[in-house]
Amino acid sequence: MPNIRVLRDMKARRGVLDNEVTRRAYLYVARNQSLPPQVRHQAQLQLNTFGRYTRPTTVKNRCHESGRGRGIISEFALCRFQFRLKALAGELNGVRKASW
Amino acid sequence: MSAVLPSRIAKLNRLRCSIFQTIYNPTGIRTGAKYLRARLRGPSMMDYYPVEMNLSKIARRYPELEVTDEDEEQRFQDIEDRKKRGKGAPKKARTKEEGRRSQRRR
Repeated sequence: MPNIRVLRDMKARRGVLDNEVTRRAYLYVARNQSLPPQVRHQAQLQLNTFGRYTRPTTVKNRCHESGRGRGIISEFALCRFQFRLKALAGELNGVRKASW
Repeated sequence: MSAVLPSRIAKLNRLRCSIFQTIYNPTGIRTGAKYLRARLRGPSMMDYYPVEMNLSKIARRYPELEVTDEDEEQRFQDIEDRKKRGKGAPKKARTKEEGRRSQRRR
């Protein structure tokens, strides 16, 4: 059973996927300088009503194993400690101790 | 050598845009087209976490398989037993006042 924070992140990702197109549409209207300012303002107000589980900024890469939010290596989706454990155990393909 | 009139250059730009089917924006005003042009990031975000399969998901997705989750059934049974004994979960306090009052009684 994943971490509650991981569950919240999954929820955010789901929300972003569902609302991305509508958000883009509102953003287009709100940032278009050739439209009248009232229309732009209305679009911006609509954008403000979107909840936090729809904004792409809420999404954060978390560690798959531990659910840690910091020190994530995105390529492996692991935090630095889990990365170290797995790499030393040989579970990560092509990763070996550096020496040069 | 006479300099080319800016009106002629503008006409040339308009013609160029119509030929190559690009947008004609001589003043460089921000149209917000970049938000429409950019690719969608939602699907790649969903691919980050691997899909975790467990019994309840299978039970929901394939009801014809009639998968029985024994642990879940046992949990429901335990809750029913506790309720019969009078040990069920207390009623949720609707306001902060109700919550505080129940704490004080103890």
